[in-house]
Amino acid sequence: MLPLCLAVLPWGILCGSLAVQNGFSALETQAMSLLVFAGSAQLVAIELMAGNTPLLTILFTTLIISSRHFLYGLAIRHKVIDQPFRWRLPVSFVLTDELFAFSHHHKAYRTKVRLIYALSAGFSFYIAWNIWTLLGIVAGSLLPDLTHLGLDFAIAATFIALVIPGVKNLATLATVITAGVVATLLKSQGFQLWLVTAALIAMTVGYLISRWQAKEEHTL
Amino acid sequence: MMTTILLMACITFFTRYLFLHRALPFKVGPKMQQFLSFSAPAVLTAIWVPIVFINDEGINLDWQNPYLSAAVVSVIVAYKTHNIYYTTLAGMGLFIILS
Repeated sequence: MLPLCLAVLPWGILCGSLAVQNGFSALETQAMSLLVFAGSAQLVAIELMAGNTPLLTILFTTLIISSRHFLYGLAIRHKVIDQPFRWRLPVSFVLTDELFAFSHHHKAYRTKVRLIYALSAGFSFYIAWNIWTLLGIVAGSLLPDLTHLGLDFAIAATFIALVIPGVKNLATLATVITAGVVATLLKSQGFQLWLVTAALIAMTVGYLISRWQAKEEHTL
Repeated sequence: MMTTILLMACITFFTRYLFLHRALPFKVGPKMQQFLSFSAPAVLTAIWVPIVFINDEGINLDWQNPYLSAAVVSVIVAYKTHNIYYTTLAGMGLFIILS
């Protein structure tokens, strides 16, 4: 998880400086990272709030961007659900894209050691995210216009590093290609539910191919 | 502003916690589990690919687009090295040089 803590540095700086340059106070900016702790939702909300968007629109957009976490919760439910509430609560608080990408081990969350490991990873990511936001607040108030440096490419680079090594079979390859193409098409058309729709279509493609391959093997 | 931030925090936490709540009466079966095993590559890719291909004017397939060439290099480095540092450093480095 340490490499990921460093990899989100540009993203955290982007979030902190974008907020400050859009008229957020330092306290509000930091509170957002401390409480919301969701990079993509924060970035979009900052732009919306700066544009005086109605509260309900902001909240609805947050729900749409965050709805991918429903999938994450479903996917790790069988691993976490037997743990007591005092463990499930902190796990869900730090259930980011990054932590989820590291949750694939079949024993993940199931033993005390694995739980402590996941929580340390999750909370070190939380601390890093907040330090980088703070750096962004400082940089954003000292330097003009950090937001056009293309810091958002760092998000792409991080997710490429998380996804590509996991592409080991046809089903996952098809999932990744479908997700990329569908998401780009839907988002460029301004379709609000682009992220979840693209993800669900891509997951269906991956699932159907893996089922079909299992059946082929069975008949041979 | 603080109210908005607090409400946003409730929403993101709700989406993360909901299916880890024990009182929800269902079990995820093996087929559903297999379907969900594709959620990480699907969601993460659906986030990063549009960052690379969409700019203010729409879809940008031009090779001069620094996002595109840096992404291609990142994919190659990620595939060869499986290393997060090398991938982000190579990608960001090339991106900064090109833009």
